[in-house]
Amino acid sequence: MQNTTLEVSTHLAEVYSTVKGAVYQSDSEKCWYVDFAGKMAKFDYRNILKLKKAIYAIDIEEILLNSSKTADVEIVFICACEHCYVLTLLEIISFKELLEGTFVMLSLNQILHDRLYRIAA
Amino acid sequence: MKDIIRVKSLISADVETLLNQQIKKEAQSSSAYLSMASWCDRNGFDNSAEYFFKQAEEERQHQLKFYRYVLDMGGTALSPEVTNVKIEYNSFREIFEEALDQEISVTQSIKNIAARCHKEQDYVTVEFLNWFFKEQREEEYKARRALELFDLIGEEGTGRWEIDKHVGKIHYGNEAGE
Ligand SMILES: [Fe+2]
Ligand SMILES: [Fe+2]
Repeated sequence: MQNTTLEVSTHLAEVYSTVKGAVYQSDSEKCWYVDFAGKMAKFDYRNILKLKKAIYAIDIEEILLNSSKTADVEIVFICACEHCYVLTLLEIISFKELLEGTFVMLSLNQILHDRLYRIAA
Repeated sequence: MKDIIRVKSLISADVETLLNQQIKKEAQSSSAYLSMASWCDRNGFDNSAEYFFKQAEEERQHQLKFYRYVLDMGGTALSPEVTNVKIEYNSFREIFEEALDQEISVTQSIKNIAARCHKEQDYVTVEFLNWFFKEQREEEYKARRALELFDLIGEEGTGRWEIDKHVGKIHYGNEAGE
């Protein structure tokens, strides 16, 4: 799986990665590639925000405390987006970690752009 | 690495969330005023009913103003769900008390958005919010004046009829002190 990532990464910049996955940005396509749960999925601006919202909205504590016998699997659909994730509790936790790191790096990138190019020294 | 997020949207995700919450608040205000208009009409307070119909309309305009701003800035405006709208009130006076409470809560909520904007130096949104601050000055003034009629005129005898008559005449000049 790591190898397939390298293949497409020629025009991609890594935004953030953990042992469980990574997010890359394509400047030319103005989108992000999310490498997680065994697949590489492409998200544009709207969709990555929807993904973030969907993952952040999952109440991890509630799933942990839920004593019913249902499987601890969450299905994440993103409206008008071809991707769908079926995630276990542990995957949800690491996905959230990955996305949180990603958005921190993206805001850092914005600060850098402001400082380096947008605000006169 | 390009700053795609900033290219797509002028406002931050946090400010967008706050603005969407405000859209909902304005929608709730509009529905509450409509409910007050209904109660006043049912109980024979025609001028007050008219006053609240107008207020409901204004809140709707406020909602749309926020809504369009979020969209214009590249955000996602959310059409809010309004639930638990009150139907009955205990008294004529209670309506005006609630109206003032509601306006105060709106002012505070917009102040909170402005505080967040200052923190992230989003002066564009601050400038947009300034219109609302001026509006809230008028909204609170009118709601407070209406409530004061209850103390000035008193509710005894034809008092409530008299109060209703004056509610329609409440007016705020453009400059404070007028
Ligand atoms: Fe309003
Ligand atoms: Fe208002």
